[in-house]
Amino acid sequence: MNFKRDISTKTYSGFALSALLVLTILNVLLQNIPGKVERAGEKLLELNAQEGVANAVTTVVVYFRGFDTLGEIAVLFIAALGIGLMLSSHSKVPHKEESNFILQKASKLLFPVIMLFGVYVMIYGHLSPGGGFQGGVIIASGVLLLLISDQNFEIPHSVISALETFAGIAYVLIGLIGLVVLDRFLGNFLPHDISEMGMLFSGGIIPLVYIVVGIKVGSEMSLIVQNLIKRNDDD
Amino acid sequence: MIETFLSYLNQNSTITAMVNIGSMVLFFIGLFGLLTHRHILRIFISISIMEIAIFLFFIGSTFNKAFTAPIVEEGYTNIAVMNDPIPHALILTAIVIGMAVFALGVSFAIEYHKLTSRTDINEMNEMGES
Repeated sequence: MNFKRDISTKTYSGFALSALLVLTILNVLLQNIPGKVERAGEKLLELNAQEGVANAVTTVVVYFRGFDTLGEIAVLFIAALGIGLMLSSHSKVPHKEESNFILQKASKLLFPVIMLFGVYVMIYGHLSPGGGFQGGVIIASGVLLLLISDQNFEIPHSVISALETFAGIAYVLIGLIGLVVLDRFLGNFLPHDISEMGMLFSGGIIPLVYIVVGIKVGSEMSLIVQNLIKRNDDD
Repeated sequence: MIETFLSYLNQNSTITAMVNIGSMVLFFIGLFGLLTHRHILRIFISISIMEIAIFLFFIGSTFNKAFTAPIVEEGYTNIAVMNDPIPHALILTAIVIGMAVFALGVSFAIEYHKLTSRTDINEMNEMGES
């Protein structure tokens, strides 16, 4: 059976179908003139002011959709677990090529700066663009720099597991305290006055939850990166 | 001549149309790669490109020149002219999930190649279909 001919007929039929799809969607889009579209976020922006958080995106992610973010972190954890199961082997080999002198020295210089920037983005997530996910990924990129510059560098497994466990438990505990003190999961039980909007200590539990999310995302991304780099190709 | 063209480009409707059509073109670039390539890593990359097109479409769908970022700051306190925060929050979630799923897929592909030294999905016959 000739696979090539089979694929090409499939491809052509797929493209005829996709051209139809393009025309349909374009038709729909050109009828949607901006300005006529109802904005769903209007009510959320009004509610956001009551929580005393400057960044409305943070409020939506952490507070209004806080339970969903907990599920998202669970998905990230399961993906990291799957990658660990797939790629980790008992004999971790250092990768073969030694990095050059400039990379070795510059990574030592840059690593603290990248870490500081990641922590800044994480802590100021409720005041400026950024937050836990972005800060966590920046921290993981710093770890990636260390991993590609130093052959023998390895994140201690106990540190990663301690951070991840702490972050996961802290998220659920904050939510449960809100359930006990107020009436619902992830209730904002800390003081959140609108007069403090724009200060570092404002918004009640929202910055705390985003810092916890940042710790979890940073440790999981670092683990994923380490597993992908330090896999053993020989066995 | 150039001024009229630039002012035409600077209209809200032009920018929205450009983002919509551009994200769709990107989507179909991804779909083309998905349909024509049989290498498993290329298929994952095509799926990522399609994902990115959807992200672009969502973010661009709320674009308006008159709106400010949904962050309350000094001088930017009018809620009525703030951008909609919902697509931003949704896409923030989707980017992280997409990246995690891509990494998981790549790790599956690496392990499959290590076991069978095959990358072409037409040659996958573990279930004995043909």
